[in-house]
Amino acid sequence: PRSVSPAADPAVISPQDPTLLIGSSLVATCTVSPDFPLRAEDLYWTLNGRRLPAASYAALGPSTLSVALARLNGSRQQSGDNLVCHSRDGGILAGSCLYVGLPPEKPVNITCWSKNMKDLTCKWAPGTEGETFLHTNYTLKYKRRWYGQDNTCQEYHTAGTYSCHIPKDLALFTPYEIWVEASNRLGVAVSDVVMLDILDVVTTDPPSDVHVSRVGDLEDQLSVRWSSPPALKDFLFQAKYQIQYRVEDSSEWKVRGHGGGTARGGRGRGRCHLLPRQVVDDVGNQTSCRLAGLRPGTVYFVQVRCNPFSIYGSKKAGIWSDWSNPTAASTPRSERVAGGCDPKGGEQNTTLRRELKQFFGWVKKHAYGCSNLGIKLYDQWRVWLQKSHKTRNQVGKEP
Amino acid sequence: MAAAESPSAALRRRDLCSRGIRLAGKMRADVVDLLDAYVEQQGLDASASVAAVEGVPLAAVERWDEQTGTQRLLENLAAYRAFRALLAQMLEEQREQLGEADAGLGRALAAVLLQVSAFAYHLEELLRLESRGIPGEEGDEEEEDGPPPPPRLSLFEQKLRGLGVLRELAQWAVRSVRDLRQLAKPSPATGAAPGLAESP
Repeated sequence: PRSVSPAADPAVISPQDPTLLIGSSLVATCTVSPDFPLRAEDLYWTLNGRRLPAASYAALGPSTLSVALARLNGSRQQSGDNLVCHSRDGGILAGSCLYVGLPPEKPVNITCWSKNMKDLTCKWAPGTEGETFLHTNYTLKYKRRWYGQDNTCQEYHTAGTYSCHIPKDLALFTPYEIWVEASNRLGVAVSDVVMLDILDVVTTDPPSDVHVSRVGDLEDQLSVRWSSPPALKDFLFQAKYQIQYRVEDSSEWKVRGHGGGTARGGRGRGRCHLLPRQVVDDVGNQTSCRLAGLRPGTVYFVQVRCNPFSIYGSKKAGIWSDWSNPTAASTPRSERVAGGCDPKGGEQNTTLRRELKQFFGWVKKHAYGCSNLGIKLYDQWRVWLQKSHKTRNQVGKEP
Repeated sequence: MAAAESPSAALRRRDLCSRGIRLAGKMRADVVDLLDAYVEQQGLDASASVAAVEGVPLAAVERWDEQTGTQRLLENLAAYRAFRALLAQMLEEQREQLGEADAGLGRALAAVLLQVSAFAYHLEELLRLESRGIPGEEGDEEEEDGPPPPPRLSLFEQKLRGLGVLRELAQWAVRSVRDLRQLAKPSPATGAAPGLAESP
């Protein structure tokens, strides 16, 4: 196939591919090769395809035309602004790429986490409110605090644009220094150094096998069960969990938790009974929980997350995992008489509180000596209440 | 006069030509999309006149209808081998200049490079079918005094060359479809598929 051999360059632009600060001014010249019968008055300039005004030109010689550019804005594209010298008929004689921008600011907000105590992922923010207008390279570096050489992270963009993953060769029980260097054509900036021990920044995958199910016929409750993340089951650790849920047509998540309790391996049995609108940070290490005070006949989405803390005796809290994928379930709704209506949310809470007061009163009367008062008795009472065909408004009467 | 082709060889050739036509059609569509993204990223005018650049094979050909099948295949193969090297160079330059900043364009370039490589291989298959030797690629032979490497282009010249490469590649994809359709045609004289050495 035919191709064309290059002729001599028809013209040369100076400076070639300069780098400039925003606000700089520049005088560029286009000099036509002696082999080409073109004069300065036969030339014109464009910048990014837009013709520059002739008032900014000056003929410096018979075949040299200059252009003055004042107060340059940041480059329109990171590949550089195209300053082009044309012949009168529009032909391209020569071009120069202008890189106009700002030096980088030091990266900020470095945060790191380890999924399995063998790797480390870090992310950061670029530290510039506006952009630099130039391609800026980020390099994450790390070293053991008191000895060791600088190492450079290789796997970038694993958790977003400004992130890097160190897959191996990390030691435990020793602090690391971590920092990020930003560099572009106009300079270099180095972040503050972050110090951390891998054990202090451990997180896990979200809890798996999240199941949400009804609690018998109870209209205002759902049972949530999950499995602790398997990756850490071989390590001595404490795990706390958090649950959030929302109704199907709402974007507002309610967070639920229950404090206390630790166990080896993060496993636990037993249940927690959570009151509505009571925000507690965690549900301990238990892997099941019951949500109460819910709306009957309503679809709920539920998510669970885990925080492994006190791994190998570390005193710091771990890092919350991502939320598990939402799991949906609906509360049952009993048959209603035609024309009946359900209490609104606020009324339901008032009613539930009243119910609970009456429940405890009933317990004192009917379950004395019960040091092991638990949810089972409450469930039995609820079932008894419904079977006795009493409405919520009639719960004041004792059986 | 070349001997008539065996029926199985004719079927195989038609099959290869059909698949090649589909490959070339997809390639052209992707190159057109890549061209749009490229001019935007480089700040170029899509309609800018760009002088032909050394090493970029031109799709334009005179007396195209007079070419033999072998000529068509050999010219196509030489062109796509050249494009393979040019696209690889563009990809490297893109990464040098912008790192992974525009991963989308880099991925699109890599995808087209892959298609070009696949199409070149497809053309080699067609040539093998005709028991034609596959011409060696430039640079395979060891030479004591090889040609000097071309001078490194300025950044602006790299941009223009990239524009020229993608434009010509899009044109070649159109030409390749036509070439393969010619190759796939049965001979009107004998009713059997013609040999490639015969006139089209």
